[in-house]
Amino acid sequence: MKILKRYGALYVMMVPVVAYFLVFAYYPLVKGLQTSFQDYKLMGDRPYVGFTNYNAVLHDSTFWDAMVNTLVIGGGILFFSFIAPLILALSLNEVLQAWYKKLTQMILYVPHLLSWVVIGGIWIFLLSPDNGLVNMLLVHFFHISPINFLSDPTLARWIVILLTAWKEMGYTCILFLAAIVSINPSLYEAARMDGASRWNQLIYVTIPQLGNTMKVVFLLNTLGVLRIFDQVFILRNPTVASKLDVLMMYTFQKGILEIKLGPAAAASFFILIITLALTLVVRRMTRFDEV
Amino acid sequence: MKNKLWLTMSTVAVAGTMLLSGCGSESDDSNVANTGGNAANAPANAPANAPAGDMKLRILDANIGGKTPEENAKFEAEIKRLTGIEAKLEKPASDYDQKVLTALGSGEKYDLIELSDLNKLASFVDQGVVSDLTDFVTKSPVLSDPAVVPAGEWDQLKSKDGNIVAVFSKFQGGTMPIVRKDWLDKLGLKEPKTLDEFYNVLKAFKENDPDGNGKNDTYGLSTSGLYDIQGFMSAAGLKARYVMKDGKRTIPYATEAAVPMYEWFAKLVKEGIMDPNFVTNDSGKMRNLFLTDRVGMVTYWDAWVGMFNSMKKTEDPNTKFQAEALESIPGADGSILMRRGDPDFWIIPANAEHPDAAKKFLEFWHTEPGIMLGSLGIENEDYTKEGDAYKLTPTGTEHNMDHGVPFWYNQNVKYPFGKLPGVQEAQDLVTKNATLELTLPTWPDAEKIVNDYALKAMSGQMDAAEAVKKMHDELLGKKLIDE
Repeated sequence: MKILKRYGALYVMMVPVVAYFLVFAYYPLVKGLQTSFQDYKLMGDRPYVGFTNYNAVLHDSTFWDAMVNTLVIGGGILFFSFIAPLILALSLNEVLQAWYKKLTQMILYVPHLLSWVVIGGIWIFLLSPDNGLVNMLLVHFFHISPINFLSDPTLARWIVILLTAWKEMGYTCILFLAAIVSINPSLYEAARMDGASRWNQLIYVTIPQLGNTMKVVFLLNTLGVLRIFDQVFILRNPTVASKLDVLMMYTFQKGILEIKLGPAAAASFFILIITLALTLVVRRMTRFDEV
Repeated sequence: MKNKLWLTMSTVAVAGTMLLSGCGSESDDSNVANTGGNAANAPANAPANAPAGDMKLRILDANIGGKTPEENAKFEAEIKRLTGIEAKLEKPASDYDQKVLTALGSGEKYDLIELSDLNKLASFVDQGVVSDLTDFVTKSPVLSDPAVVPAGEWDQLKSKDGNIVAVFSKFQGGTMPIVRKDWLDKLGLKEPKTLDEFYNVLKAFKENDPDGNGKNDTYGLSTSGLYDIQGFMSAAGLKARYVMKDGKRTIPYATEAAVPMYEWFAKLVKEGIMDPNFVTNDSGKMRNLFLTDRVGMVTYWDAWVGMFNSMKKTEDPNTKFQAEALESIPGADGSILMRRGDPDFWIIPANAEHPDAAKKFLEFWHTEPGIMLGSLGIENEDYTKEGDAYKLTPTGTEHNMDHGVPFWYNQNVKYPFGKLPGVQEAQDLVTKNATLELTLPTWPDAEKIVNDYALKAMSGQMDAAEAVKKMHDELLGKKLIDE
């Protein structure tokens, strides 16, 4: 009570934030959980049906196909979205001209600011077999027939993975660069005095000092692995759907297109549970708590 | 102390959840709705006989109304002037289906909702969303008149129990191959009737520089995926989606008879006759190719024959551009299969607060003033009327006589300016040949499989026979067909 009196004003200031999360995060979560146990209709009675919806999802082969796609595409995005910006940040750190460094950072950051509708539109145009720039270059320099990138099932996942890594590269790169800038210069000085080359400084000073940032970036990326949706929604078409339809797409299809809200809610709780499990595993593996 | 803290936290969490759950609209309204009752104390399934005074109407629609928010407000005022009903028109700019679903799921109360998907209508019937309108329609002097809506048409809007659950918002046509007639004439070609003739025409469009720019930059045919190749599949007697055969579900596109057709398309793709983007095209891209002289044939709606001609004429009054509808290719037995599109229709949601106003509006919508409002638009804004003669204003001309109802059923109401060039001929083909497709609840799952393999076969990524076999086996394996 004493504490409440002392810090009362602070607690009052927290009320809007707590209310926001209660109304816009936890209330829908609770409603979603409730829906997953109901034979949910838009109007009328909504009887509770126990685990029927969960059972239906688990016995739906489409769900498992989506699970495989999610893990493959999500895993690819996790890897490339981690490695590519790291290499880029380390490379940019070696650039001495400040203007070039800033310009490159800005150019790399721009795709992060654009929505997937814009990014998808640009790349659908660039990869078109008809007048697409990529095919025009391939035809001009390698004299090969135009490739229909977006309808080739063997390329579909790669395109989603690489475009996602490319889009988010600038943002993650800035996180790494910020961490590099904050490394204590005396460590480099000591390394140079010990005769370390630039490569050795990179391996033995920069990368180890980036450890904590890497853990945070990896964990944040892991949280998003199962929530991939926008890029798939924009880039999919019927010929590659079987390779691209991920768990969020499955939920969208069940809930919005087929109006089967019970199974859709059940599927979304599976996504939540698996995300939690993945996060715990990553935390353990990376010893995140030691950050 | 620790236990006490946990107990307090749990109590607060549970109480909070219960409090928040109480905010939902789940039980009260929906239970009323499910029994067919309405807040206005008048069942939806009854003739509209209430006076217009003080009537209110909340409408959610995708097509009906003004072209801008400002014109929408004028549209509401025009409804008030013509019917006495104070209407509120909500016309989302995008993601209409999702907005309908969100509105219904959150307990929003609309008196009329416009839809255009029979599969969705069937789902909404199962979900207890729609009111039974059988009595209302059969007892309505307007809607029960076969001159206003032909009696047989109502079958489209019946639930599986045989009840009428919706009312048409306009006449919906069908899809067909649409050809550049001016290109045919320029190259000295006749309108194609057989598969071979179609091939020759499309090849000529590709190779004989029909646009006369001296460049090899034209294609014979473009589609938007499998939408809609019925005009060609008709040559093998294949109807799109489901066909019931001796009580068993079949999908003709997944039968061996479809193999030569997919091979035919693959040949077009291989020879560069077909637009290579057809797999990823949306209908907008396909239309643009047609309007920009890049392709000589597309597959699209009857109404668009007129729209294509009108748009090009507006752009250049001296244009030679001429779009023309073609009949599907007859099968071996001479039968012609064409696709009739799902109709656009209104439902009165079971939780509508003003069903009487909704019914009055539905009757009005099928009378001459309603039809003129839905087609020409707002009097003195889109058109003026002197005696019986209508005259379009510049705004009306720009709006192309379409405020949600470009065509209608009511035979008593004449088209004041006739139809756009080429439309009547296209609609005659629809009337003569087109039938609705059978869309069973399992179609969304089946469609993914059909699209996947059919497009792979058509684009030459997979051998047609192999694609059809895999398609059929997968459909059968997932119990989406019976044989």
